[in-house]
Amino acid sequence: MSTFLQILRPDFLLHHALYGSVMVGFVCPLVGIYFLLRRLVFWGIALPQVSTAGIAFAFMLQGLGFHVLSGSGNQEKHLAIISSFLFTGLAILILAILERRGKGISEGRIGVLYALSWAGSILFVAWNAAGETEMLGLLKGEIVSISERDFHAMLDVFGIITACMFFFRKEFLLVSYDRDMAITLGRNVLGWDILLYFIVGLTISLGVMTVGPLVIFGFLVIPPMAALPWARGIISFSLLASFCGGLSAFTGFYVSYTRDLPLGPVIVCVACGVLCISMLTHSIGCRVKKQALLVLDHVAPHQ
Amino acid sequence: MSEPLLRLKHASLGYGEQPILTGVDVEVQPGSFIGILGHNGSGKTTLLKTILNLIPCLKGQCVWQGATPDSLRFGYVPQKEKLDPIYPLSAFDVAAMGTYHRFALRIKNKAFIHRCLADCGAAHLTDKRYSDLSGGQKQRVLIARALAAEPQILTLDEPLAGIDITTQKAVLKLLKHLKEERGLTILMVSHRIQAEKGLFTHIVWCDEGKVISGPTPEMLANSKLAEVFKTEL
Repeated sequence: MSTFLQILRPDFLLHHALYGSVMVGFVCPLVGIYFLLRRLVFWGIALPQVSTAGIAFAFMLQGLGFHVLSGSGNQEKHLAIISSFLFTGLAILILAILERRGKGISEGRIGVLYALSWAGSILFVAWNAAGETEMLGLLKGEIVSISERDFHAMLDVFGIITACMFFFRKEFLLVSYDRDMAITLGRNVLGWDILLYFIVGLTISLGVMTVGPLVIFGFLVIPPMAALPWARGIISFSLLASFCGGLSAFTGFYVSYTRDLPLGPVIVCVACGVLCISMLTHSIGCRVKKQALLVLDHVAPHQ
Repeated sequence: MSEPLLRLKHASLGYGEQPILTGVDVEVQPGSFIGILGHNGSGKTTLLKTILNLIPCLKGQCVWQGATPDSLRFGYVPQKEKLDPIYPLSAFDVAAMGTYHRFALRIKNKAFIHRCLADCGAAHLTDKRYSDLSGGQKQRVLIARALAAEPQILTLDEPLAGIDITTQKAVLKLLKHLKEERGLTILMVSHRIQAEKGLFTHIVWCDEGKVISGPTPEMLANSKLAEVFKTEL
């Protein structure tokens, strides 16, 4: 109990790391619900990996002496975020164009992209041994080094993303659910798709830089899956998924801190636990409801 | 005769560079109930999508009253199988999508959506999950969604596919009622005609890349088509 209270205190040494992971836990599922609804779950695997390759590429440039943003370690980090965003954005653009054309096998394209990103990440690190430690930390999902300034910048960006996801939920829902209807209503489907993909790219690149690709993939897919059976509309779906993500991040952080385990894998395991509980309770709830209806029907068959 | 709501002039329709229908001349008069008929793969849905401006004409012209497609308000009822059941939406949520083009007050919108559902005999379905509804119930909700767009032209893509005869009759009765009460212009894609022929004021027949259209009595009297309508559709 004392450890629990300790990590909640504002002077807790790793408070930015805690708030950062919980924030990512809250925001990523808001974007992830559209991966699930549009049946693009595999994008959720490939894009964080592409983002990682972007970060590795930035570290490689630094290692090779190309100081695009010369100066402190903070600026190295900013370059990594920009590179990660550009890689992710380009990958989304290519996938979206190919998806719209409707030719070829969608899963095959994503598989190729995933393999290429993995290979790219390893090669970029191999060309820059100095970046290896940082990349290993990133892959494990270590975020202890997040600074005050970075944290506030992240808070602003994720705040804007959350606001966009709620303010434009009707538009995102309509263009995802029924594109033809959206066009007949005079909606700019391409414009809304671009905005959604831009938000996806931004969330993934910032998230990967904060908690690593494994956790981002986990947050994009697992909380929305846990929330789906209980959702009664797009707002409740968003809120429930976001809550599951935030809860998993907080609990994962607590377990990781108290048991001295790597943060990323612990968060993903906790999120999977939440998913299992959700599925199980929903299944039991459905059976109980069915039984109750049968009993009612037996007691008063004519009503 | 009044000015048509839209007119296709010598149009070639299709996807990419591949025309599916050529030399299409079709007029949609206000207040008409048009049946777009033909066998599977004959281009019925392609014709409907061109009218809705979802795909462009490859050749020729599509002229909308008021010059642009945005000047006409369409209500669109897609084939119900096209909508993914994974979405956790209630019947109300689905019907509400029809109002997503306007920024009306929330309360006014809510009452209006309830009225659209009630007009389609779906008031009791409001809170039910859309994916749990039967085929006929889904169709009613989709028609309510199209009405929520306050359309001048209601377009339906195979609304009777996959539902039983009784429900088909109920849906047709609803469409007839909407046409008479609201004076809607209706375009309906179908690959059958027996139950609907009394409703259609005009028939557009798609076959082998060509389109023949005209008032229903004239089309039924066409010796070539009469045989097709009697036996195959």
